[in-house]
Amino acid sequence: MELTSSQRDALTELINIGYARAAAALSELTGHRISLEVPEVSVHPIPEITVKLQQLIKGEVASVNQVFSGPISGNAILLLDSEAALFLNRLLTDRPNMPELDGAAREVITEVGNIVLNACLGAFGNLLKIQVSFTVPSLQIESVQKVISSITVADRGLEYALVIHTHFHMRVNDVSGYLVIILGVTSLETLLLELRKWEARELG
Amino acid sequence: MNSAERITLPEPVSAPDSKNELALLSWIREFAPYGIITLDRAFHISIWNHWMEIHSSMRSEDVLGKDLLSLFPDLDERKLTLYFKRALEGESSVLSTALHHYLLALPSPLRETGGRHMLQTSRIAPLIAHGAVCGIVIVIEDVTQRENQAEILRQQHGRDEILSWALAHFLKTEEPRKTVRQLFFKIAEYLDFDTFFLYLRNIETGHLGLHTSGGVPADLERDLADCPLLGEAVKAPEIVVFHQVQTSLNPDHAVLKKAGVSAAIAIPLFANDRPLGLLCFATWSRESITAEESDLLRTIAQYLAIAVDRENTNLQLQNARMELSTHAQLLEMKVKERTSRLQETISELETFSYTLAHDLKAPVRGMIGYCNVLIEDFKDVLPPAANLIVQKMARTPERMEALIKDLLKFSEISRQEIVLSKVAIDPIIEDILTMRLPGVRQATTVILPLHEVRAHKTLLQQALSNLIDNAIKFVDTDAVPKITICTERVFHSSPSTRTGPLLFNSAESAELENIGAPDDAARLRIRIWVRDEGVGIPAEVHQKIFGIFERGPFAERYQGTGMGLAIVARAVQRMGGTCGVESEPGKGSRFWIELPSG
Repeated sequence: MELTSSQRDALTELINIGYARAAAALSELTGHRISLEVPEVSVHPIPEITVKLQQLIKGEVASVNQVFSGPISGNAILLLDSEAALFLNRLLTDRPNMPELDGAAREVITEVGNIVLNACLGAFGNLLKIQVSFTVPSLQIESVQKVISSITVADRGLEYALVIHTHFHMRVNDVSGYLVIILGVTSLETLLLELRKWEARELG
Repeated sequence: MNSAERITLPEPVSAPDSKNELALLSWIREFAPYGIITLDRAFHISIWNHWMEIHSSMRSEDVLGKDLLSLFPDLDERKLTLYFKRALEGESSVLSTALHHYLLALPSPLRETGGRHMLQTSRIAPLIAHGAVCGIVIVIEDVTQRENQAEILRQQHGRDEILSWALAHFLKTEEPRKTVRQLFFKIAEYLDFDTFFLYLRNIETGHLGLHTSGGVPADLERDLADCPLLGEAVKAPEIVVFHQVQTSLNPDHAVLKKAGVSAAIAIPLFANDRPLGLLCFATWSRESITAEESDLLRTIAQYLAIAVDRENTNLQLQNARMELSTHAQLLEMKVKERTSRLQETISELETFSYTLAHDLKAPVRGMIGYCNVLIEDFKDVLPPAANLIVQKMARTPERMEALIKDLLKFSEISRQEIVLSKVAIDPIIEDILTMRLPGVRQATTVILPLHEVRAHKTLLQQALSNLIDNAIKFVDTDAVPKITICTERVFHSSPSTRTGPLLFNSAESAELENIGAPDDAARLRIRIWVRDEGVGIPAEVHQKIFGIFERGPFAERYQGTGMGLAIVARAVQRMGGTCGVESEPGKGSRFWIELPSG
């Protein structure tokens, strides 16, 4: 399914508002200025999502998964390639470079994922005037394939996935990583409906 | 999914199984290996499980109903209340250890090493009932032990890194003495030492002196110059650790004490049981040094000892090489000095022999003159016997004159400055034959073409004329001399028939001889043959005849001075050539001169 360009613009703007909040939260937490680029948004039926993701991200990924529920429910997943995950951990904790993510580093990635996902989903909730609640995030390190199967196995009747991907950019040393959020939604129609309402409010 | 997530999930739509729910709640309260707290919307505590009672030393009944933020006022200071507020809006949060250390300030379970507070990973989530947020659930996990282990691993990793770095450094460097200072600064920084000093033994004297130090005040460096304090550590290959130096009463520690050192470690450097020196690290602030630190430093000291030992060996080798080279230079100088003295002597001798020969000429002339006067004017006065004696006497100075003439010639050839150039042989032969009796020209056959040579014209003429004269002279009394002159090209230089040195060998010609043979070896050479059909020469005297005053086996039959061939050999030698003879008695002689091609 293709989004119309106005729908895509509205979604991008919506998510960008969330990202701004996430970037602010990360900057505050770390003391480094962190900026997130304007994300790209697209909608795909779940079965087609693997192909899309494999284009964006390779090998093992760290995924932070948070289930949300309310009028719009689904599964929000933040994907970081392992390099970006290691880099983020190093940047945030100032610990010596470790070749693997240890326990403490996994928690850091979980917390970062939590901040970013909360920011995005919170923005959805606030702007669309709907109540959404989230589970505590969980972190896995696995292949992209496994991440996808974890969405489909959950069997929540998810049909579509909103794929939001962006570069995050640390001003302090000009290093960027890749960040992908998959928003599995049960009812895209509901989302688009709520989106139209928001647009109307914004315009009105 | 963990238990925390299960709690925060929306309530199931079906009727709750109250028995199981209660059992689960009871487990959470009594046994769960996490701290679990629930708050109402005003942050008042509603559940404080057993784990929390144990770790906070606050009993459940004492905290229930109280405001969590008032029990832990630092939550607000640390801006953590924000997460509670967000939970009331439906958001869940994770607080990682690395970024926040802990949520609630609880005492550390590892009081010795784990720091002041328990390290925690916490989760703060909304509690949802009937679709609405009714409170907050907090799950706290104690990760102190895990972080402690991770810290140990990190330290191990750091130690391994510094060890492999030091090892690589010592393997790479040729001069560990020069480069070790930078290395020790890094190690001191890593191990939190304030100062280091390295004593090394002098290779020659064995004296143990301060080689390098870091972080030592200048006045103390003077005190430490001779390693006064560590006598006990130098002898045995064992590490000595000085704890609590400031309170020590040991007089040996006085210098360390004066310097304000609180703890120090001294590691003797040994390689193959040879004591090489002593490495010390010290701190101004710490009272003791751990076993891990001393293990790490021991390994680094071993690396250093091996590197220093290697450098010592190299230095000794270098010294030996230098001594050898100095010795060789000295020898060479001596040789040069002696050669120059020898050349001076030879030159003096040459001058002397020339002067002698020259000055002898006049008295000999006188003798000849007076003999002639006696023979001509007093022939009739003298008795016949006396006449005979006077006639014999007159012949002796003639011979002496011939000898002197030849000696002068030889001497001249040795002293003369020569320049080699392209010389054609035909005109030389022609000149020689012109100056001889007409019979000589008739007896001589020249086989053309005669190849040009590189020579000095006068010397070559002298040599060839001597050979031709010999060929005419040494024939049987009634025989007619027959001479053939020809040249041939040879590709390898031949050694002279006479291989020994000739007398009166001047310095100049010695140099020429040196350049002569080997450099021209590859060059085309010309051999000039002078053949006769005379009496021939027995093989055993072939060498001898080229010597000075050497006369062949027919000395009685033929007149001569014994200088002819010596002059040939000398002249040829000075032109960088060789000469020789092939001959048998009765079969004639074939003399040759070999010179570089012109």
